[in-house]
Amino acid sequence: MIQVQHLTKSYGSVLALNDVSFHIRQGEFFGLLGPNGAGKTTTISIMSTIVAPDKGSVTIAGHDLVKEPTLCKRNIGVVPQEIALYNELSAYDNLLFWGSLYGVPSAELKKRIDTTLDLFGLFDRRNDKVKTYSGGMKRRINIASALLHQPKVLFMDEPTVGIDPQSRNLIFEVVEKLHKQGMTIVYTTHYMEEAERFCDRIAIIDKGQIIAQGSLEELKSSSKIKECISVTFRELQQESSRKLATLLEGDFNITDGTLSYNTSNVRSDLSKIILKCSEAGTEVAHIDIKKVNLETIFLNLTGKQLRD
Amino acid sequence: MFKIAFKDLKLFFADKRGVLLTFLLPISLITLFSLAFGGSGSSDESRPQTLVVTDEDGTDFSQSVIAKLDSLKEIEVRLTTLDTAQRWVKKGNENAVLIFHKGFKESVEAGTEGAIELQYDAAKAMEIGILQSALIGNLMSIIGPGSMKTKIVSRFDAQYPDMDSTTRANIHQQITENLSGSAQTGGSDGQGSMITTTALVREKENSPGLVQAVAGTAIMMLLFSVTGLGASMLDEKQEGTLKKLLYSPLHPNSILFGKMISTNIISMMQMIVMFLFSGIVFGLDIGHNIPSLLLMVFATAFACSGFGVLLAAFAKSRSQVQGVSTLIILSMSAFGGSMIPVFLMPAWMQQVAVVSVNYWGIQGFYDIYWRMLAFTDPVFLSKVGVLLGMGLVLNLVALRMFKKNVLDIS
Repeated sequence: MIQVQHLTKSYGSVLALNDVSFHIRQGEFFGLLGPNGAGKTTTISIMSTIVAPDKGSVTIAGHDLVKEPTLCKRNIGVVPQEIALYNELSAYDNLLFWGSLYGVPSAELKKRIDTTLDLFGLFDRRNDKVKTYSGGMKRRINIASALLHQPKVLFMDEPTVGIDPQSRNLIFEVVEKLHKQGMTIVYTTHYMEEAERFCDRIAIIDKGQIIAQGSLEELKSSSKIKECISVTFRELQQESSRKLATLLEGDFNITDGTLSYNTSNVRSDLSKIILKCSEAGTEVAHIDIKKVNLETIFLNLTGKQLRD
Repeated sequence: MFKIAFKDLKLFFADKRGVLLTFLLPISLITLFSLAFGGSGSSDESRPQTLVVTDEDGTDFSQSVIAKLDSLKEIEVRLTTLDTAQRWVKKGNENAVLIFHKGFKESVEAGTEGAIELQYDAAKAMEIGILQSALIGNLMSIIGPGSMKTKIVSRFDAQYPDMDSTTRANIHQQITENLSGSAQTGGSDGQGSMITTTALVREKENSPGLVQAVAGTAIMMLLFSVTGLGASMLDEKQEGTLKKLLYSPLHPNSILFGKMISTNIISMMQMIVMFLFSGIVFGLDIGHNIPSLLLMVFATAFACSGFGVLLAAFAKSRSQVQGVSTLIILSMSAFGGSMIPVFLMPAWMQQVAVVSVNYWGIQGFYDIYWRMLAFTDPVFLSKVGVLLGMGLVLNLVALRMFKKNVLDIS
């Protein structure tokens, strides 16, 4: 459905994307993960035709993005990170406006608006001005406005940022439903649990380059680390923390009084860690051993938390 | 309390553009109004008034009178044919034409009246008043004594036919001396009868002051309203709706065109409401030429909205929109005639006025409600053409800048 080949983009002297290539199959739920400034938004902006690449090509549903931008646009729906709605208009009028831009016939559009409003649980409030909506309700309308022309591909840029659990669950339900109906979805998020729950395949991008891609299982199996030893201390003085850091070897970090140690051999590393903690003069309160997850893979690959 | 004040001052001076506008704007306006009302300060710099003259008489005498008029420092003669002069006055380019009719020389020698005529535009009453007072005094100095002398001497001779020649010569001498003395002091009874006056463009029911006030204010306020367009484009950009519009299959230029259309419609509605209000409350006869009114409203709205669209395409921040628009609108309104009639301004400012939308708009509404020109009159249509041309140029420039400034959302 989407072919991205050797995409390069610079802003002045800053290289935002460096030879990025990936493909997304029809009906696939594709996650694009990366820390802030990694190049996710630039990639989405190029794929949604509003930023021109310096080099490389993108085809969407068989149409070249540069040569046939209008055809590409008709096949995509974009849910931007920011809530882009007209606050002084009602939800219905907002949807009527955004839907009309894609040439959906009026009668058909009105039917789709009613169905979509119902899907997002906002039919009863359709005539209220958007400015009276909560953040979560606005997010739902923001997503609804990208669906009215029934796109083949849906780009969702952090669609659940800053919303209440009820709205988040409703959005999850809709997203899963769309996926089941065969829509191709490209999803960026800071929430690992969302990526793990929905994505068929994930690409991890950092410093403008794709550093890993595949299904969650493929990413886990290719990772050097298998488990994470998490040590919580009763009290961790700054001096003890510094001493512990000098004593330990391997892939670890100490934040907020907790030591996280990535390992491929828990049995041998666990005893070493306890010994070093004792040498550093720290008192261990709790030890937890976690299976490797997307968060640890991400941390291992980028050296950063996803929310950094 | 002082900490807050200090913080606010620090913030104020950190905004260099704001600081500049805070001081630059009032200085600019003071300069404009000072120049408009009082020139540059030195009272001896009074500029000569242009006087359009037509010499139908074509005698040595009429030419010498015209040459004497031209030599006066307060009058600058512009000689042309009668047709051309009348066209200039009708178009509003000139205020009046002084005509030396055929037989002027004979009438002066015979002491009869009516050979000089001042045809004028009654809309320019104030200017005509100033011109007439300058003209009559000077004409009296140039031709008055000779004309009066002939008249008085001939009446005297007719009344006393039997007087001896020495006494008659003494009395004639006395009359000549008295008349030249009175001419030098600038006037005598009956001077006005030397020139007949005719309104070439007649005074109508609509007062020129009312037309000036309505049209001038309407255009200035319209310019302020269209700056909302600039702000609305920035709102679209800041709130993400512009980006979302760009995701759609719409051509990017369509976004600007859409704004142009909505602004034009709102502008026309605003102008129509303002004219309706003036008709109802102040009695402006708006019904007298509806097609011309609608055409002029359209042309003015198009030119003004072009300004708004340009602002939308140019501005990168709300402070830029507010600052730049206030400066430009107040300047255009000041020298374009929205605040004070153009004819009261110095000559150079009158020349600058033609670059403003306000000037052409106000003159166009004068054509409709004061000069009562027809819809098809070339004079009226030329003003419509200028406004449409201005709007077109502004929109085209805006289109170029829109891509560079607004669509750059990366």
